[in-house]
Amino acid sequence: MQLKRENLIPALRLLAAQGEILVPTAVDEKVSKFAPWDGSSAPDLALVNTTLPPKDTLFPHQEGMYRYKTAGEPSLEEIVEAPARILFGVRPCDARSIDCMDKVFLGDKYEDAFYARRRANVTVIAHTCAQTGPTCFCDSMGLSPAEAPSADLLLSDTETGWLVTAQTEKGEAVAALWKDLTAEGGEAAPAPACTLKTNMSDALAGTLVSRFEDPIWDEVCHACLGCGTCTYLCPTCYCFDINHEDHGGEGTQFRCWDSCMFSDYTRMAGGHNPRPSKKERLRNRYLHKLAYFKERYGQILCVGCGRCVGHCPSHLDITAFIDKAAERFGEGK
Amino acid sequence: MSDIQSALRETAKKLLTEGTVTCVIGWGETRFPDKTTPIFVKTPEDAEKLVWNAHCVCGLAKYMLDNRCPEGKLAICVRGCDSRAVNRIVEDKQYKREDLYLIGLPCEGKDAPICATCTHRNPVVYDVLLGGPVPEIEVSQEDRFQAVTALEGLTPAEQYDYWQKQFSKCIHCYACRNACPACNCTECYADQYRVGWQGKQIDKAENQVYGLTRAFHVGDRCIECGECERVCPMGLPIMSQTRKILKDINDLWGNYECGLTDSRPHILGEFDLSDRDDFM
Repeated sequence: MQLKRENLIPALRLLAAQGEILVPTAVDEKVSKFAPWDGSSAPDLALVNTTLPPKDTLFPHQEGMYRYKTAGEPSLEEIVEAPARILFGVRPCDARSIDCMDKVFLGDKYEDAFYARRRANVTVIAHTCAQTGPTCFCDSMGLSPAEAPSADLLLSDTETGWLVTAQTEKGEAVAALWKDLTAEGGEAAPAPACTLKTNMSDALAGTLVSRFEDPIWDEVCHACLGCGTCTYLCPTCYCFDINHEDHGGEGTQFRCWDSCMFSDYTRMAGGHNPRPSKKERLRNRYLHKLAYFKERYGQILCVGCGRCVGHCPSHLDITAFIDKAAERFGEGK
Repeated sequence: MSDIQSALRETAKKLLTEGTVTCVIGWGETRFPDKTTPIFVKTPEDAEKLVWNAHCVCGLAKYMLDNRCPEGKLAICVRGCDSRAVNRIVEDKQYKREDLYLIGLPCEGKDAPICATCTHRNPVVYDVLLGGPVPEIEVSQEDRFQAVTALEGLTPAEQYDYWQKQFSKCIHCYACRNACPACNCTECYADQYRVGWQGKQIDKAENQVYGLTRAFHVGDRCIECGECERVCPMGLPIMSQTRKILKDINDLWGNYECGLTDSRPHILGEFDLSDRDDFM
């Protein structure tokens, strides 16, 4: 079924009755993110990738967990916040990143209650990429700019609008809601190719772990400034820290994003730090993205969105690292 | 420019071959024609990887702090801003000048907005200068503090709203701190784990605490390289904040620039009985 361009706003209005719609939004001239739809204007679907990924919808930068009281009658109250939300216009890379986070937070052995509650109430409507950005490389990481298999619903660009493909029950519900706004016809535009390519392979993922002591880590780490830009803009980085805000006798326990690029991430009580320098930290980040996650969950933790490549203050580039490693270790495709 | 690039490669090669230095920090190519990355050249052969072009925007001096106990000398390519950053770090006693070999590169401005208000395009300190000095540009105090003056024209409530909006974007990535040559503490207050220092909350209060603390920690030592603002992924106008402090210092104590070999003592780090106190 096809949703014509002129029916986009009516379609969003129908959807708005189901929950808060988050659309790609330019916050100012430098920053864009998924923000609540204003209810009337057409979302900017030309934004290839928002500066901030949509991950904070499911895994907020800061999330209250418990309110407690220690004065008087001690009490502990779990904070339950799981608004009905629709992420609209999510790119295939970001849709895949939600799939990665699901694997962590909705695992077989452990389910994270805070994430699970939010996730159950979020519908993901993905949108194919008509064009790719200069730092996009999803098609080197096993994705396609034209597919988002884990999204609830996929909108594929046609000449006059979008093909609507429901991929889950939630997606079917949206398609049913749009029944009167969609019609037969339309042909999806062919998938564009990413301009940035890298030689990632399953073999390399396996080899990297065995090269833990290789000089390559020392070679690539020097330019790193040790900031958290790459991890905080990454749609799949899911590490968090738990802390509390105490107001004498009562307070809130919260969790917030943490970054493996920071020194205090691995600093232990007593001061010892098993990852004392940026070499160990960068190695951990790259290995987690490219190898460790795959060992545990069967897929790579890098979705090729290119945010880290585009925003690194020192212009470090994970694709350049992958190719350097593939060449050195003879593990090209 | 290519002549200077050749001279740069030759110089680096010679320094490494003769063993004068153990490493040369400069810029190298990336996969993107409009970006370069800091590179660390340790062999004479690798000197060929050094480039000198309009995209050499990354500040280099901060990297010397990765190893505060060096074995042998370190060479750093210095533009005007990098040379002032070196002075900053040496003056702050974080590195010894005699452990550095500075390859001076007169700079006509790079692909970065801050270069439009650069007052020292020629390195202020160096061991060798490649190419002749370039003419300095006239930057009036009005030009230098233009963004600050514009903000000062707003009412206090409008100013508060402006900064509130800007700092609501801060994600605590600390790129501004890590890129800043004046941020050279061995351990930053923001990395203190003790509750009550920098909270990890991403909220109005903690974002402001970080913004203000950073500004006052570096305010009177800022060399105006603009790295903080360049690296901010959220596009915060961080230099307007730092330059506000510099502007106030200028207004109160006269012309003040940091990182010059003859820089006056840090205004906010000094106390004198004759200091003005009529505002108290």
